[in-house]
Amino acid sequence: MNFLLSAFAFIFDPTNWLGDAGIGARLLAHLGITVVSILIALVLAVPLGLLIGHTGRGRSAVIALTGAARALPTFGVLILFVLIGINFGAGLSLTPVIAVLAVLAVPPLLAGAYSGVEAVDRETVDSARAMGMTEWQILTRVELPLALPLLVGGLRSATLQVIATATIAAYVAQGGLGRYLIEGIQLRDYTRAVVGAILVAALALLVDGILAVVQKLVVPRGVSRGATRTTSSTGMTARRPTRSPDATRTPVTEG
Amino acid sequence: MFSRTKTRARVGALALGLGAVVVLAGCTAGDPLAAGSGSSTAGAITIGNQAFPESELLAQIYGQVLAAKGYDVTYEKGIGSRETFIAALKDGSIDLIPDYSGNALVYADPKAMATSPADVEAALPAALESLGLAVTAAAPGEDSDALVVTSEYAATNHLTSIGDLTPLASNITLGANTEFEPRWRAGLNNTYGFGNWAFKAIDDYGGPGTLADLLAGNIQVADIYTTTPSIAANKLVVLNDDKNLFAAQNIIPLLNKDVLTDDLAKLLDSVSAKITTDVLLDLNGKLAGADHPTAADVAKAWLTAQGLI
Repeated sequence: MNFLLSAFAFIFDPTNWLGDAGIGARLLAHLGITVVSILIALVLAVPLGLLIGHTGRGRSAVIALTGAARALPTFGVLILFVLIGINFGAGLSLTPVIAVLAVLAVPPLLAGAYSGVEAVDRETVDSARAMGMTEWQILTRVELPLALPLLVGGLRSATLQVIATATIAAYVAQGGLGRYLIEGIQLRDYTRAVVGAILVAALALLVDGILAVVQKLVVPRGVSRGATRTTSSTGMTARRPTRSPDATRTPVTEG
Repeated sequence: MFSRTKTRARVGALALGLGAVVVLAGCTAGDPLAAGSGSSTAGAITIGNQAFPESELLAQIYGQVLAAKGYDVTYEKGIGSRETFIAALKDGSIDLIPDYSGNALVYADPKAMATSPADVEAALPAALESLGLAVTAAAPGEDSDALVVTSEYAATNHLTSIGDLTPLASNITLGANTEFEPRWRAGLNNTYGFGNWAFKAIDDYGGPGTLADLLAGNIQVADIYTTTPSIAANKLVVLNDDKNLFAAQNIIPLLNKDVLTDDLAKLLDSVSAKITTDVLLDLNGKLAGADHPTAADVAKAWLTAQGLI
């Protein structure tokens, strides 16, 4: 018997998509957990990241903090949160799962936000200031649009990590595609475990592909590699400030 | 020169990649959890246990007696579901594991109808034969699957037996280990007329997570085994299984039949005879005590008091 073949047979059997424990319901649960966790992380990380990028203050502290946060073992933190939940009489709920995934998503989002703003050409910001824009206007009309590609890059890596890691929800009696992994092990039905692995990987790749397109689309018109260089008419093309990295790169994240 | 090194590196990477694919493809056909065959020579015995405290305690009880009689005993702790440990018994990675008669019978023969302790024990050896497994005499002590509710929920809905749940079934969520659902959903529906009930998989064998979820009201019914101290400690109500869906679950030593000798059977029987339900309740209570004793210590104290070691 070949687990890969039987797993694909399982996935392409429409009857396995229906019902409370079907692929459809678990896929939706998985996406739901991912979306809520990412939204919470966005609310926490983006304003802070923009502030740091704009003011340049607290940068080293946040780098140290996010670096440390990336070293947190997600599974260990999950069990800790679950035990806290049990102590407060909440039983086994989805809250610890969402909390731990949001913690996981904060560092890449924060890095994307502040490095995005930091990467904005200082000349551009100074011009905006010289034109009489308020700091708020500079942030929202100049820095944020220019930072979007990097910010979405952070969103991409955060989402990828959360989709992959949301499988652990099943370990603490919650839904999602991780159920297939747990069932596969408990029932000694490895086809199911492979089904879970394939579906999670496929979902992660699909969502990452969509976000990659979004990342391309959010590059403001007139901003592209080269374009900034050719438009600086003074002929001092080489005199760029040191901070002008490729605007579409993705912040480096581990995981 | 440069490009040649690069090409060579690419060819190397490609070969590595292909090699990995071949190796991975090979993996998918085999059993990833299969272990090498363990020692099955006379005198050496590997005792497994399931991943909950009572099973480890029983493994220690049988194991320490065998060790005292000169057997070379090793333990394999915390093996998962029956699906896993039966396979381990068959391939010789373990030789013996404490199990429960009714569930072992249903696993070996899904169509088995026996429910009383005597009927289950009588039906077991023949059913296990085909799996290459054997069993010695069952202990008088029982630890059954039991559907348990909180006393408030029982009072509000006037529940004393599983049948009383039938009208509520479409509103309940039942929490139990993953393998409970494939094993019992049809039985609950056919025997008790449960309709479309929700199932929540909590893989801790009726342990702290299941209890917390029941007390928090996330689930209304839990599968908690009858000798679990948390039932009395939290005044939970065990619903009567008046239609005998859950078969008798006496403690049995389940063995690979190749390792079973007369001497071994005699030793195991002498221990099993003393394991009553009250003993299980008492020892499980000690095991769950505030001072967190090890299963080995609890087993040793009891065996010494019984004069078995």
